[in-house]
Amino acid sequence: MLEAEATADMLLMTQPLTAPDPVEQPVEVILVRAVLAGEHDRFARLYEMYAPLVHGILLARVPRDEVDDLVQDIFLHAMRKLHTLREAAAFGPWIAMIARNRAMDFHRSSRDTVEVTEQTAVTNPPSRTAREILDLIRSLPDAYRETLVLRFVEGMTGPEIARRTGLTSASVRVNLHRGVKMLREKMGIGAAARP
Amino acid sequence: MKDNYLWDRSGEGDAEIEELENLLGTLRYQPQPLEIPAGFQVARRRTFFPALAIAAAIALVAAGLGLWLNFSRRPAQRNEVKRITETDQKRTVERQSENKPDNRLARTSAPKKIRKARSTGARNLFASNRTHRHRIETAKPQLSPAEIAEKEQVLTALRLVSAKLNLAQRRTQSAPSLNLIHNQHKIG
Repeated sequence: MLEAEATADMLLMTQPLTAPDPVEQPVEVILVRAVLAGEHDRFARLYEMYAPLVHGILLARVPRDEVDDLVQDIFLHAMRKLHTLREAAAFGPWIAMIARNRAMDFHRSSRDTVEVTEQTAVTNPPSRTAREILDLIRSLPDAYRETLVLRFVEGMTGPEIARRTGLTSASVRVNLHRGVKMLREKMGIGAAARP
Repeated sequence: MKDNYLWDRSGEGDAEIEELENLLGTLRYQPQPLEIPAGFQVARRRTFFPALAIAAAIALVAAGLGLWLNFSRRPAQRNEVKRITETDQKRTVERQSENKPDNRLARTSAPKKIRKARSTGARNLFASNRTHRHRIETAKPQLSPAEIAEKEQVLTALRLVSAKLNLAQRRTQSAPSLNLIHNQHKIG
């Protein structure tokens, strides 16, 4: 039920991509236009800006050992296909979608990855390592795990996640709260301990 | 205001959230340079404007050429019609000179041929004018000498009839007839 709601939030509450603040000229627009005009070195700046986003999206979906290589592949693919991007301001949502699709392709090609079940998660001891918590987050619905990884692993704030991914602030806020609630339940902290 | 801390790290801090941040922060992205392979090429945005402009120019030239051909053929057809009418008129004049009583038939037959030529010309704007000539030439039947002799007889009879009819017409249309038989002897 929560997964369906989160998916609906993600699909329906996407903010229009062509409505940036007129006062704040997005850096992405300038950089994308420069790269398309032939200044390929400017793509390094785009890479620096959006590598954490792509890393977080992949970390929420694929094994950690594969993430770094996939980040490189995704940016090379983006650089090759940059001319197909119609709206330069939508570079973030565009590359985020490429990362999600690449993660899906990865799971199609290799189905022998070990999934963390709810049972194994609950039976673990209370003191956990980062990888164990990450595995718990990966067991959450798509929209929640991506938002939680970007918030806790990559250190982005809610507004920053909304701006980079193209989701609305309301959608990100909902995903954060519901995701944290579900994570607490999985970690054994439980809803009873929290109001 | 712990919710605000989860949202944008403002307000009162949440111990659990901070613990999660510290723990999971160890997995954070470590900046690495983008390794671009040798010979990597970035495709440029395709602009369709030149292709569209060329296509539009070709279409315009083709349309203009078509119109020009259309209008350039029309005067030729008119000239041809005029030429046909001139030849027909000459023929009719020749006929008139040969057979004076046949004047009316010749006058009435000439415009018919002109109308025919115009109507066929209008139907086939791009057709050549050879068809008109061909039609006119084929209209002449090849007659044998016997048929020509019969034709001459018929024509002579028609001329006689028409001459008599002309005479009768003149008499009826003229002023009250004088007594043309006053010099003749009374019968009875």
